[in-house]
Amino acid sequence: MAEFNVDLRPVGSVSVIDVKGYLDAHTAPELENVFNKLLDEKRFKVVVNFDELKYISSAGLGVFMAYVETMRENKGDIKFSNMKENVYNIFDLLGFPILYEFFKDEREALQKFDTLG
Amino acid sequence: MRKKVKNITNSHRLENAVLLSVLLFLFNLLFPQHDSIILFICAEIILFFTLFFLYNYVHTYISSKVDSPLGIVLNAGILGALIFFITATLNAILSSKSETVAPGFFNSLFSILLNFVFIGSVIYIFSTFRELSFLRQKKDPSVYFNTLLVYFGLSFFSDAFIKIFTDASFVKTAVYVMTIILISLNSVRVSWIAFLPKKQKYYLLLTSVILSVLFGMNYAMITNTNVIRQIIYLFSPGFHTFFNLVMLYGTIYFAVIFFTALFHLPTAEAFDRRTDEVSSMMDLTKLVAQVFDFKELAETITTITARVCSADSAWLITKNGNEIELSSVNNIGFVDADNITNKIFGSGANNFDSIEIIDYRSLVQSEINNRPNFAWIAVAPLKVQGIINGYLLAARYRENIFDLDDKRAVQAFADYAAVALENAKLIGESIEKERLEKELDVARDVQRKILPSVIPVSDRLQISALFVPAFEVGGDYYDFFELDGDRLGFVIADVSGKGIGSAFIMAEVKGIFESLSKIISNPRELLINVNDNLKKSLDKKNFVTAIYGVINKETGVLNFARAGHTPVHIFSNGKTERYQPAGIGLGLDYRTGFESSIKELEIQLKNNDIVICYSDGIPEAKNNLEEDFGYDRLDSIVAANFEKGLDQISNEIMKSLTVFSKNHSQHDDITLVVFKWNKK
Repeated sequence: MAEFNVDLRPVGSVSVIDVKGYLDAHTAPELENVFNKLLDEKRFKVVVNFDELKYISSAGLGVFMAYVETMRENKGDIKFSNMKENVYNIFDLLGFPILYEFFKDEREALQKFDTLG
Repeated sequence: MRKKVKNITNSHRLENAVLLSVLLFLFNLLFPQHDSIILFICAEIILFFTLFFLYNYVHTYISSKVDSPLGIVLNAGILGALIFFITATLNAILSSKSETVAPGFFNSLFSILLNFVFIGSVIYIFSTFRELSFLRQKKDPSVYFNTLLVYFGLSFFSDAFIKIFTDASFVKTAVYVMTIILISLNSVRVSWIAFLPKKQKYYLLLTSVILSVLFGMNYAMITNTNVIRQIIYLFSPGFHTFFNLVMLYGTIYFAVIFFTALFHLPTAEAFDRRTDEVSSMMDLTKLVAQVFDFKELAETITTITARVCSADSAWLITKNGNEIELSSVNNIGFVDADNITNKIFGSGANNFDSIEIIDYRSLVQSEINNRPNFAWIAVAPLKVQGIINGYLLAARYRENIFDLDDKRAVQAFADYAAVALENAKLIGESIEKERLEKELDVARDVQRKILPSVIPVSDRLQISALFVPAFEVGGDYYDFFELDGDRLGFVIADVSGKGIGSAFIMAEVKGIFESLSKIISNPRELLINVNDNLKKSLDKKNFVTAIYGVINKETGVLNFARAGHTPVHIFSNGKTERYQPAGIGLGLDYRTGFESSIKELEIQLKNNDIVICYSDGIPEAKNNLEEDFGYDRLDSIVAANFEKGLDQISNEIMKSLTVFSKNHSQHDDITLVVFKWNKK
């Protein structure tokens, strides 16, 4: 079974989610739990740090799609950072860069939230 | 012959016994006095066989009742008392009347009947001893007992022997002594006493001392010279010897029983408990195999634990991660049990790897009022394969701490509970697994029916299509649509996710493409419309990637648009070009995002150009180094085989893919659609 790990750390008003390992149909529910928790706590600004993610499947992508609307409706967003090339290619193929913001570094993503207030 | 005799003695026990008794009765009625030596010997032989067959019948009858040894002991005791009563009364009555017994019909009839009562009683008592000495023996005691039987026979006939050879009285003494020795040997077989419950041991102790004395007195009465002795002796000297030997046997045997029961008393309680434990465990084993509802089992386990481990209360908790749940309680309130559990386990982080005894008072300290005032609590983990799934707790008010045996018992019951819990879990899992497998079957079926069974053929455009489903069933879909004139529409799509959900979306996608392809021939517009249609049926987290294209078979013009799908590869003039026009996946955005993103491409194919479309199952296939198969490997295979037939090219691709990912299970569906255009 592929390993997957998800950590949540708040940076000011933004929540950073660190995803590690393999995000697929079997591990996606773990990430969903984190997002549900954020919704409960009314924290709508999210940066997902992909630094240690090795693989993402369509079910993994689906998690972001499921929550992004709610985040945006509440003046938040889901932004992506530190993505490896192979992972980015999957997002790119699907056209995610048209709908989501991608950043090389987590700091840039956080700054983007800051400038918007 | 021997077999036949054995057969008759064994199969007609009752008939033989009755027959001989009647014979004996008639014989004695006809010849009340055995004056001549012939008559005497006949009488002795008939009596011997009567005794033998009676014994032969009665002991099998008793052996069916040995499950309650106390019952048969009591029966023997009652008969012993009967003998005592008859002997004592008759002695008192008859000795005062006359010194000698006068011959006469009524007298002899009375004597015969009296002797028959004695015969019956003595045989019953003797048979009882036989069955008792066979009871609970590990080794077969029949050798000892059969020897004893033989000596009883010899003693029986020793009187007749003396009557014939008057100076050989030492023979009788020798045989008599030998028989007594054998009786003593047989009397020590009393291991059945150990298995009696404590209460019955006390009962037996009392009974045996009375019976021993009673049989002793019987023995004394019939060996002393008196009327009864005379009646019996006249009836048969052999029976008289047999009678007093049985009485002696009784005296010895009950004396042994008395002492044995006495010595077993101190261990009686421990023995009782062990027996209870064993039988409870046997019941539990049965339950574990039969009952799959864990709650029901937990109920039984707590009840048994409290009883067997002499605890005042018991309860069982199950543990899932750090969450503790009370499964069942015995003799304690739910709230109390819950409180104490929380006290012991704290936040759920406390663990007991093996059984532990907790000093309850030091645990609760001051806040003792209003809750059960236990002294000790035993906590045993429910452990299977090193993982603790819960705890069994037993609590005592009394000051005596749980000893080693108690601890073992609590742990044993905890182990049972652990197995039962695991069982229940496994069964739940296997039901779930079965359900999933059924679901997968349905999904596979849907997928098989959705894919085209016939691939369109034309001399200008060759097509090869290949589909390999993954075990979990992905959502790959491809199809061809004959459009007006020389045009052929084709779609290749991949629904996100797996299983039955994806299969149904796929079916819907097929319907949408099929109907729209008849109305809209422009690929970009068609995909925009598909996206709008999917809005109603797609979950937020689901999406579909697709390529829709139209090939003009006459002109070789290929128009296509891509919605988040893998690129189209075209091999032309010895090299491969990848085409990835902009376009986001279907279902990612239902506003203007989709429409504004998607672009359409038009390509003029040249003669023998090969167009390759596929699903992401191909580039994302992994080898054991976790490397992707990727686009380049695909292209190089096409380049190396472009001159071969189209089906062969497909096969080469699949072959390389299989070799590449041989140590990996196929994760996703694989779809490969290849076109080759001929200019004519």
